Amino acid sequence: MTSVPLALYVAASAAYGTYFARRSDTAGRFATLVLVGGALAHTFVIGMQTMQVGHLPVVGTTGAISAFVCLLALAYLYTETMTDERAMGVFIVPPMALLLAIPALTNTVAARPPVLDSPWFAVHVLSLLFAYASFALACVIGITYVLLFKELKAKHLGFFYSRLPSLRVLDVMNGRAITVGWLFLTVGLAVGAIWLLQVQAGAVDPRVQAMSLFDPKISIVILMWVVYSFALYARRSIGWSGRRTAVLSAVGFTVMLLNFVPMGYFVTRSHNFY
Amino acid sequence: MNLFLLGTSHHSTPIDLRERIDFTRRGVAHALAELAQLPGLSEVVILSTCNRSEIYVICDDPQSTRPALTAFMSGFHDVPESEIAPHLYARTDTDVARHLFRVAAGLDSLVVGEPQILGQVKDAFTIASEQQHTGVFFNRLFHWSFGAGKRVRSETGLGEGAVSVSYASISLARKIFGKLGNLGALLVGAGEMAELTATHLRSQQVRRIGVANRTASHAAALAARVEGEAVPWGQIRRELTAYDIVVTATGSVQPIITRADIESAMRPRRDRPLFIIDLGVPRDVDPAAGRIEQVFLYNIDDLRTIVQENLARRQSQVDLAELMVDAEVDKFMAWLRSRAATPTVVALRERFETVRRSELARLEPKLAGLSPAARARVDEVTRLLIEKLLSAPTQRLKALTDEETVGAYTEALNHLFKLAGDEGDTDAAARGHVSGRMLASTRGRGR
Repeated sequence: MTSVPLALYVAASAAYGTYFARRSDTAGRFATLVLVGGALAHTFVIGMQTMQVGHLPVVGTTGAISAFVCLLALAYLYTETMTDERAMGVFIVPPMALLLAIPALTNTVAARPPVLDSPWFAVHVLSLLFAYASFALACVIGITYVLLFKELKAKHLGFFYSRLPSLRVLDVMNGRAITVGWLFLTVGLAVGAIWLLQVQAGAVDPRVQAMSLFDPKISIVILMWVVYSFALYARRSIGWSGRRTAVLSAVGFTVMLLNFVPMGYFVTRSHNFY
Repeated sequence: MNLFLLGTSHHSTPIDLRERIDFTRRGVAHALAELAQLPGLSEVVILSTCNRSEIYVICDDPQSTRPALTAFMSGFHDVPESEIAPHLYARTDTDVARHLFRVAAGLDSLVVGEPQILGQVKDAFTIASEQQHTGVFFNRLFHWSFGAGKRVRSETGLGEGAVSVSYASISLARKIFGKLGNLGALLVGAGEMAELTATHLRSQQVRRIGVANRTASHAAALAARVEGEAVPWGQIRRELTAYDIVVTATGSVQPIITRADIESAMRPRRDRPLFIIDLGVPRDVDPAAGRIEQVFLYNIDDLRTIVQENLARRQSQVDLAELMVDAEVDKFMAWLRSRAATPTVVALRERFETVRRSELARLEPKLAGLSPAARARVDEVTRLLIEKLLSAPTQRLKALTDEETVGAYTEALNHLFKLAGDEGDTDAAARGHVSGRMLASTRGRGR
C-alpha cells in the first residue's frame, strides 16, 4: 500500500528538482500538488493500517519511519504554505522518498505487544516523531542557510543566491522549527518517562526491563534534547548568529538520524518492538 | 490593411534629438488624437519612453504612410523632417510583431532585460485603447506582446540580477535581511554616490537613515533631502551598533572604520548581521572587517563585478529569448492568417440570411393566417436550419491558416454562392480580398 505515496513522493522530488533548477512556477505548483497528493495518500494508508490492526502502525522502526515521513510531509507543506517558499522542497522531499522506501519494501505492520497497549504510547511516539520531523526541517533550512551565507561572504553570488529566500527568513524558519521540535521532544520524553514508571515495576517484557538512561537509544535522545536546548539558549541568550545555530541544528539532526535508523534497528535493547 | 511601425530609439538616435521628439512632452493622448485624423489609418498606438518614440498603425498603404507619419512627427514636435528622417526606422507586418515582442521582452532595451519597458508598452496600449484608437488587430497584437514579454522574463534569466551598483547593493541587502522596512541605514559621506544609494534605500522603506559627514552642514543638507537625520562625525563608531546597513562614500585616504571598531560594535549588536557597502576609493572600511562572522562587507569593485556578471548572464540568455519571441511571432501570424477567412464567413452567412428573409417574404401571403406564436416558430426554425448548415463550414474556414487555401476557398465560395455578385455582400468580399493581400505580403517577407 505504501508504494502509492512513495511513487508520488518520487514524482514530487523530480518536480521540486525541476522547479529549483529552472525556477519554473508551473513545475513548482505541480510539485506542491503532487506532494499534497502523496501526503493525503500516505495519511490514507496509515489510516487503513490503523483500521486493519486496531492501533496506530508506529510500533517498531519501520512503522515509525513511515509515520515520520508522513508528518514531515505535512510539516513541510505547512511551512511552504506559510512562507510561500518552495525552494526548500528539493532538499526535503527526496530524502523523504528514500526513507519511505524502507517501509515500502518490507510492507508489513508490526503487531503491538500488550505492554504498549496504553494511550501514553500514542502520545509518546507521535510527539517524538513530530519533534523529529521539525528537526529534519530545521536541519535542511540550516544547511541552505549555510550555503547562502557562504556565497554572500565569498561574494560569489551564484546558484543559491538566486534561488533561496533571504538569510533572515531562513534564520527565522530555522528558529521556529527548532522551538516546535524541542517542545514536542520535551513532551515526548516526559510522557515516556511517566509511562515507563507506571509499567516498569510489574513488567515481565525484557525490552521494558531494559529501558534505562543507559540504553543507547534513550541516552542519545537525551543528548539530542541537550543539544537542541543549548541551540535555543544560545540563540536567545548568548545571541548566537544564524550560521552557528544552523550548524547546530544540522549536527542535532544527524545524531537523531543515527538514533532513528542504525540504533533503532541494531543497537537498542529496549526500543525494538518489531 | 497592413501593420506598420515608424520610430526612433537609442539604437539610431542621439539623446538630444530623442529628447525633442519625446511624445510625452506634449502628451501622448494629444498626439494620438492628431494622428487619428490622418487618412488611411485605422488603429494607432504611440510608445514613447526616454529611449524610444514609436508609432504603430494599421494602414491601407505602407508606402504612403511612411512620409505621412514622418511629416506628422516633424510637425508635432516642430523639428525639421530632414533632421528626423535619417534616424527613423520602419517595419511592416511580421517585422512589426517581432519588433514589438522584442521591445516588450526587453531585448531591444539599452540594458537588456530591464523590467520597466513591459509596463510602458502596457501603458501605451491602455492610453490608445481608452481613446478608442485600437481595434481587433492591435488588441490582439499588444496583448500577445504582453504575454511574450512575460514568458521571456519568467522562462529565461534575461531579467535577473542587478545591473547597476546601487541596485546591486539593495539586492544584497534584501538577500541578507529580507524586507528592509525595520532597518536603519547609515550613510558616511554626503556625495553623489551616497545620495543615490540613500534614494534607493528610501524607496525600499527603510525605517531610518542617518547621514554623517566631516562637514556637518553637508550631512544636514543630505539628511533633509532623504528625510533622514544628521549624525555627528565623531559618533560613527558608536552608531555602528544602531544601524544595520552602512554605506561609506568619502574621499578619505585612511580607513574611517577599522576592524576593531566593528568588532566592538558586534557584541552590543548581539551578532545581528551588519551589511557594509564601501563605495570609497581608497576604501573607507578596513577590508579585514569582512572576516568578522556576521559582517558582509562589499566594496565598489565587488559590486561592479556582480553587475558585470549579471550583464554577462543576461547576455547569455538572449538567444533563448529570441527563439521564444520567434515562436510567439509565428503563433500571432498564424492567428492573423486565420482572420483572412473572416470576411468570407461573414459574406456567406449574410448571403444565407438574405435568402432566408426573401423566402419568408415570398411566403408571407401563405403565412398570414398563422398565429403570432406559430409565425415566430417558423422564423426560429428557419434560422436554426441555417445555423446548422453553416456551423461546420464556418469552423473549417476559421481554422485555415494557409493563405493559398484561404484564397481557393474564398474563390470557390464566391463563385458557388455568388458572394461578390449582384445579390451578395460586395463589401465583405472586398474586405476578404484586401485581407488576403496583406497576408500575401506578410508571408513574403520572412525574417
